[in-house]
Amino acid sequence: METETFIDSMDFKVQELLKEVRLEYSPSLTKVVNDTVSAIKSAIDKIPEDLQVNADWAPGFVRDIGADKVEFKFKKPKSIEIGGSYSIGCVAKPDVNVDLLLRLPKECFHEKDYLNYRYHAKRCLYLCVIKKYLKSSSSIQKVEWSALQNEARKPVLVVYPAVKLDEVPGLFIRIIPTATSLFNLSKLNLKQNNVRALNTGDVPQPTPKYNCSILEDMFLEENSKFVKKTFSEWEELGEALILLKVWARLRSSIYVHDCLNGFLISVIVSYLVAQDKINHDMKAMAIFRAALKFIDTHPLWKHGLYFPPAGDNAFSEEGNEQHNSSTRVNLAFRIASVAYPELQDEVALTLRCLEKCRDGGFEEIFATKIDNAAKYDYCIRLNLKGNSEVYSLGFCLDDECWRVYEQDVHCLLNQGLSDRAKFIRVIWRNTHSEFNVENGLSGLGSEPLFIGISVSSVEKAFRIVDIGPNAEKKDEALMFQKFWGEKAELRRFQDGKISESTVWESEQWTRHLILKRIIEYLLGRHLSLLKKDIVQIVDQLDFSLLHVGKDPVSYSGRLLGTFEELSKRLRSIQDIPLRVSSVQPLDSAFRFTSVFPPEPHPMATKRVDGARVHNFTPFCVQSLEVMIQLEGSGNWPMDDVSIEKTKSVFLLKIAESLHNNWGMTCTATEEDVDVFMDGYSFRLRILHERGLSLVNREIGRDQMKWVSSADRKLFIHGQHASMINGLQFCYPIFGPVVRLAKRWLASHLFSACLAEEAVELLVAYLFLKPLPFNVPCSRITGFLRFLRLLAEHDWAFSPLVVDINGDLSQNDEKEIDDYFMQSRKADEENTQNKSKAMFLATACDKASEAWTSCSPNPLELKRLVAYARSSANLLTKLILQNQTDSHGWECLFRTPLNLYDAVILLHGDRLPYPKRLLFTSELDQGRHVAHGNPSNAFHPYLLPADMKGSLEQLKTKLMVNFDPLRCFIGDVEKEFSDGLKLWYDSLGGDAIGLTWEHSKKREREESELDRKYPVDLLRNVGEMGKGFVRDVYLLKAPRLTK
Amino acid sequence: MKKKKGNREKANVVDDGEAVQMVANLITTKEEKKKDKSSKKKRKSQEKNNACVGIDQLGDEYEDHLQKQNGKYKKDRKMKKKDHSSSRESEQLVEMSKAVDEDEVYEIPSGDEDCSKGMKKWLTKYHQSRPGLKVLQQRIDDFIIAHETKLEQERKEKEARLTEGGWILVEHHKGRKKTTDSESGTTVGSVSQAVVEEKLAKKKSKELFDFYRFQKREAQKNELMKLQSKFEQDKKRIQQLRAARKFRPY
Repeated sequence: METETFIDSMDFKVQELLKEVRLEYSPSLTKVVNDTVSAIKSAIDKIPEDLQVNADWAPGFVRDIGADKVEFKFKKPKSIEIGGSYSIGCVAKPDVNVDLLLRLPKECFHEKDYLNYRYHAKRCLYLCVIKKYLKSSSSIQKVEWSALQNEARKPVLVVYPAVKLDEVPGLFIRIIPTATSLFNLSKLNLKQNNVRALNTGDVPQPTPKYNCSILEDMFLEENSKFVKKTFSEWEELGEALILLKVWARLRSSIYVHDCLNGFLISVIVSYLVAQDKINHDMKAMAIFRAALKFIDTHPLWKHGLYFPPAGDNAFSEEGNEQHNSSTRVNLAFRIASVAYPELQDEVALTLRCLEKCRDGGFEEIFATKIDNAAKYDYCIRLNLKGNSEVYSLGFCLDDECWRVYEQDVHCLLNQGLSDRAKFIRVIWRNTHSEFNVENGLSGLGSEPLFIGISVSSVEKAFRIVDIGPNAEKKDEALMFQKFWGEKAELRRFQDGKISESTVWESEQWTRHLILKRIIEYLLGRHLSLLKKDIVQIVDQLDFSLLHVGKDPVSYSGRLLGTFEELSKRLRSIQDIPLRVSSVQPLDSAFRFTSVFPPEPHPMATKRVDGARVHNFTPFCVQSLEVMIQLEGSGNWPMDDVSIEKTKSVFLLKIAESLHNNWGMTCTATEEDVDVFMDGYSFRLRILHERGLSLVNREIGRDQMKWVSSADRKLFIHGQHASMINGLQFCYPIFGPVVRLAKRWLASHLFSACLAEEAVELLVAYLFLKPLPFNVPCSRITGFLRFLRLLAEHDWAFSPLVVDINGDLSQNDEKEIDDYFMQSRKADEENTQNKSKAMFLATACDKASEAWTSCSPNPLELKRLVAYARSSANLLTKLILQNQTDSHGWECLFRTPLNLYDAVILLHGDRLPYPKRLLFTSELDQGRHVAHGNPSNAFHPYLLPADMKGSLEQLKTKLMVNFDPLRCFIGDVEKEFSDGLKLWYDSLGGDAIGLTWEHSKKREREESELDRKYPVDLLRNVGEMGKGFVRDVYLLKAPRLTK
Repeated sequence: MKKKKGNREKANVVDDGEAVQMVANLITTKEEKKKDKSSKKKRKSQEKNNACVGIDQLGDEYEDHLQKQNGKYKKDRKMKKKDHSSSRESEQLVEMSKAVDEDEVYEIPSGDEDCSKGMKKWLTKYHQSRPGLKVLQQRIDDFIIAHETKLEQERKEKEARLTEGGWILVEHHKGRKKTTDSESGTTVGSVSQAVVEEKLAKKKSKELFDFYRFQKREAQKNELMKLQSKFEQDKKRIQQLRAARKFRPY
């Protein structure tokens, strides 16, 4: 039963999708199309017969493709017919175009015009003539050039009708010339040479690409007819075609000139019908699946796709010649051998989505955009504008120079990166709409060339040494040297082998740049590209994670070592009543997901090294939580308060013991005990299992009341920490992505909205359920996908299930769903107090109680989603478009302050870690309500005056976990919690946003509010942060209710 | 389109009357926008300096409010009179705040002498909370003793209250002797907690749920209800999706 509703909902969604995408043939649309077509026909009719045409119509084009003898007398086209998807009713919005097939008259061509680009030149000149006459037609707005599948030697005309329809914006008609039976097919055999300029020595080389290019035109009409016949009166087939098109279009890496296109998809589907792989009983989705299976198993680029399939005589109008397989056209000739594995991978991923994803994978297959920015781990753009190397051999020989260049780049990188990369995709989309054929082809290189790289595994991509051939193999070694130049060096390895190798020396935290260095080196060496023309999207966001020019994560190794030592010492403590049984790290710094893991503080050690105390030694020390458990005992008290106090006593005893035995400095309050060790400070916590059972009992009595004791919280933290720590080891790139995500959230003042742990779970989801993508292998890609997840997940209607160990059973999933429904139902009944806007379930927290039960609330989530969406769009643009300045990248972390009702700016030099501030905030709008002076009582760095005293004394002055921002926020929230909402950056921002809250309570107390009109209120708020608050601005007064 | 969205968002928060006012505001500000395009341009360029390019979307909707804040109170007042009587109140407020505003920017003292607020307060609090291990130890000991005597007293009082009426409190010791040490989870007696729980779970699963016909019927009914509610939910969701143009892949 369950599965049935499943499939039904998929079908239902597919129907909805088709409704949305399919073009309706409304009377107004057909009228516009028919009118325009007849306008085109009549314009062509006006062309005088026998008009003399020569190269002067498009001198640049004829020169650049190198054609001779191009003169002809104009004759009318043999036929003009609508073909393509419009004729079979399978146009998929939003690109609505109508293909008009125009058969070139045989009289204009000589028998031998298939030679030396004469056909291409005449084809183009023919269109030039037509273009001239179309321009004068009144029902045509404009005529532009385009190219058939990005093939510049085969231009087509794009005609925009003068009448615009609101229902189909951007409608245009493409005029595509066809060459039905113009030439002798046997001359266009793939082994024939038809471009005489192409030869090695005196031996002419075959020109398969060139021949196919002509053959395609010759069979265009026939194939079109075949497709039309197959699709006529077959509803489901058409639906499947539209689905396939939607699917392909969402995947920009395969819907390009060297892979799939709409026509090819329709050909594939027709082929399957002819092969009896599709029958009339199948529904659209079944056909969709069959087509994907076919692509997956049939290597199109190797076997080719010949049409009509052998043995089918129905369409042999041209006689017997076509049955000679060598002269039929391979319809899949555009699919490059390097593009096919990519296509296959996409298909395999889609098939997996169909099987594994929720609700049959509709979201993943038909609603998720898989653009290059989100798909590839490394994106590179080459600026080749004005680079004459590209066409130094001529624009078009067998293939066009841009395609050849694509191949060259691919080969080079493929060899250089070897097994580091899984896929390398080189795409140069170079025909743009302003492209003007008459002026020749030299302007076509202005668009940047795109390279996308999918990394095979992070370990391989981050490898420092590449081992080449053994030194004894002279030839290979020579080749290696030639390829790598000065980078190649002879090395003796541990196993005694002496080999050629390349070494990319790099620190741990800059390993992600190795690939960048290799690529830069190779492109510079072999294609002599300058650094400024190579834009690699790798490290543009690293600035947000650096602290004084260095990534603080580089200290993590030392931190873990110190922690090991600490836990050894703790477990060996003898002089306390109960011994320490286990020690577990809780802080995110231990699992590499903290934005700023602490750097060792020169003073927080046993023996202070005076030499390392410098001018910028911070006054504050970050303390890291560590959880310890004690041996069991029956003597613990029973009530909550006493348990906590007893824990404090234990901690004090532990601290004392550490001090006595190891000389470690300890500092404590009634709640917290911090110990210094080796430059780090650790905050100790005790987990008492009795506390857990106390809570459980509480729940048993009263289901609705959720009591969260200190122990419960600790327990959850501990579970989360070990879960994430395990995951982090499987995915080395997980840490950096989490850090970027946390930094982004904080810099947009969302610190209060989304718990650190929730961010880790969200990012974990990207790695555990990457479909329809592969697992992200670079920080920028991971970050982009995080933003998209935040923006696009359907928070209102589906829970996000993070299955870290992959151990959730069907029953568990159902349980989670039930919890989710319960919580949503509760929201419906009680609209006042919505909770869990973001439902994050894990194996140990099926009801999403741990991290998101209080925040974000629906309004916060809305804001969060809006920010994520615009940041994701900006990031995509930055990755794909040619912007090289760093300002755009900084904008991702710069939050607009004008979106708050009031803003408080803080003294940046009174923050505990001023260097963590990304940008100093300034505001030049709104009313400047108050200004404050900085306090002299606190400085973030040790002052020379401090250092006069003894170092030991100084050590006691260090402040552990002192954070004025947190204090300020706490004070303000205590005082004004019902009227104000604070948005802040806990990672070291200097701005706090304020928004007015509308609560019922306030409406009642309106008389009181009269006194506290906004300016005074804000001044009071500013007053609470004396010595810390720099400026207070009012941007928008609160709206008053009646 | 964007504006509409913004409106909707706000309408969620405020009641209908206000939404009307909002719309009126939008219209008037549109006029305003036309009037001083040049100043707007200027501001825009300023905005760009500290605003993220990407978030224009949100920026737009807040823009018109900002405009009012930019010191155009006169115009503002006029408009407000026109569109709503209830806004008079807020107008007064604005005026009042203007009155206070005579001395422009209020100076907050650095507060280095004043321990009641701000940085100084936090620092003092920080230092006060760390009197040293010995003192803390003493404090906690005192607290525990006090707490325990309090508890003891409470117990005694309770007892006293009960015995007052001639009753004697008989304490009830539940069940047999404990078998498990609750801290370590080790079994003291015969069976451990985990085993018991497991047994209980097993026992539960052995219970028959489809023994009587009515049970079967009820189960079916329940299942059906569940499916129905799921279907309803699905339908609602799809409607929502449609509204959000989720079915449009472009």
